[in-house]
Amino acid sequence: MYKYIFYFSLFIYIFSLVWGVLFTQEDFVQGNSFRIIYLHVPASFLSQSIYAAMAISSVIYLIWRVKLSAYLILAMAPIGALVTFLALFSGSVWGIPTWGTWWQWDARITSTLILFIMYLGLISLHNSFSNHEKADKLLSWLVIVGFVNIPIIKKSVDWWSTLHQSASITLTDKPTIDPSMLYPLIGSIIGFFGIVICLIIISSKVQIFKREKTKSWIKDYV
Amino acid sequence: MNTELIKAENISFKINENRLFHNLTFSLNKGEALHITGSNGSGKSTLIRIILGITPQSKGSIMIINNNNICYLGHKNALKGYLSVIDNLMLHGLNNHKDLNYYLEKLDLIKFLDVVVANLSFGQQKKLALLRVFLNDSDLIILDEPFVGLDKDAHDFVKNFLLKELETGKAIVYTSHIDCEIESKVLNLQ
Amino acid sequence: MNVFYLEYLKLKKKTRHWIGPIIVFILIMIAYPLTVEFLEKDLEKGFYSLLWISILLSMMLATEDIFLEDYNDGTLEQTIISISSFPFLIAKKIFIYWFMIGIPISLFSFLFSLGITKNLNISLLVFPFAMICSYIFLNLFVFGSALSLNKGSVLGAIITMPLALPVLIVLGKGVIAIQFGINYLELLLLLLGSLSIIITSVPFIVSYIIKAHLE
Repeated sequence: MYKYIFYFSLFIYIFSLVWGVLFTQEDFVQGNSFRIIYLHVPASFLSQSIYAAMAISSVIYLIWRVKLSAYLILAMAPIGALVTFLALFSGSVWGIPTWGTWWQWDARITSTLILFIMYLGLISLHNSFSNHEKADKLLSWLVIVGFVNIPIIKKSVDWWSTLHQSASITLTDKPTIDPSMLYPLIGSIIGFFGIVICLIIISSKVQIFKREKTKSWIKDYV
Repeated sequence: MNTELIKAENISFKINENRLFHNLTFSLNKGEALHITGSNGSGKSTLIRIILGITPQSKGSIMIINNNNICYLGHKNALKGYLSVIDNLMLHGLNNHKDLNYYLEKLDLIKFLDVVVANLSFGQQKKLALLRVFLNDSDLIILDEPFVGLDKDAHDFVKNFLLKELETGKAIVYTSHIDCEIESKVLNLQ
Repeated sequence: MNVFYLEYLKLKKKTRHWIGPIIVFILIMIAYPLTVEFLEKDLEKGFYSLLWISILLSMMLATEDIFLEDYNDGTLEQTIISISSFPFLIAKKIFIYWFMIGIPISLFSFLFSLGITKNLNISLLVFPFAMICSYIFLNLFVFGSALSLNKGSVLGAIITMPLALPVLIVLGKGVIAIQFGINYLELLLLLLGSLSIIITSVPFIVSYIIKAHLE
């Protein structure tokens, strides 16, 4: 089932990418460099959403001991790290022509970098325990405490003056972006979202196989 | 009157999907001893930890009356190697116990009071840790391999002490590879 | 009261754990002027950044194996069997560490600040900042070292550093506020507020984590 979602999302993403990169006009200020938003915006958007999803799974795991949510946390952590890295990397590439520098100690970039380090911390914490259930519990605690910290980090680094442009699309306000760029952007967000969700499904499937390999239903399935 | 201290039903335990034991049912009344035996790695210590409430069981239910009043001595003896014997006793709140001197003398520890624990032999450390058991006022005594490393005299001393405690109505749970001549229920984990 | 005394006794006997972090702090503070040219103006510039970071580092060293010893020798097991309010015990333990390590380091912060800036007013204001931030860092690193119990302090540092970064930013703001003499009370209250939240929540979280470790 998820295979179809995957191909469908991939199609939407590539379609929006082609549309956005080849068939929209240049940005008045930023020239052609803005076209990287079709990677940068979805990645930045998801880097935090994935962490939020992990935090929800952690709460579910700690309260109701649902094993599946523990597997989900594990499955999401590396993908979250990857997406966050993509956001940072694409941001750097975009920064060279627009700001003249690939790195700036600016609020959003710094908090994204911290988020990336937090993902790495989560992964290394889980890897250092051989008792899986213990590792799941400890990981959940760290995810929750880290999630509490994310708005605080954002708030505190926002105190610095920032180079980063403010968000172009919000749920409440009218978008400040030209429609010809907006539609491919929305398409790319949806496509990227679908791809990431499918990756998470695949990766959690791997986790389930790994952890439940002694169960008879797995043997029947494989 | 209800004299049941522990009541366990259908306890199972598995770690990383490896099953250690399955569907254990047992109960323990006041004045009774429970001997948990089994080969290495059969889950003796784990069962002890489940009874103590440290490790949760995978399945089944276990009930312990008066959870906070258990005297426990495990493999790790909770002694600080860098402190002297008397300081360690203070750490466990035993330095002013009225029977302390009697037991110190019986266990040949009286002349080591100011010695740092790390300089004591394994058996002496074990005896020092056992002092906590001798001076307890709990209804339930739980011991993980209490006889390991003890000489013949100390072994008999511990055994007689436990027999005496059983007579006064306390309950004892212990693990041991060997039979230690205490009349008890036996739970063999294979 | 008993717990306070016992933790004090333990720390006193383990000089390495008690004096060690303080000495490391002093050494960094002494090393700092050596790395800068001897013009005093430059000395002041980066001093406070280094001060906060070295407080952070020495707190990390102090809590490196705060639970490790009790975990290895079985004291933690005994404690959770016999004591009903484990979080309270942890809170007391953290307090003792702050009292024995955090407060001396804050005092030395004051002295070094006085020595480098030669400004009593600024240094007097830096002192409460140092007191509060050392307590916050201590709590955060206790959380990290509880998570990475017996897995080494590097893991604990990776986990905890991101949590400590907002505090560092506030501290940076604080020094500027002190130097200009504006709004520093606000920042101090902000730190105090976060400290009170952290003090009350960390012991509970840590007690759950340690119970998970003992399973």
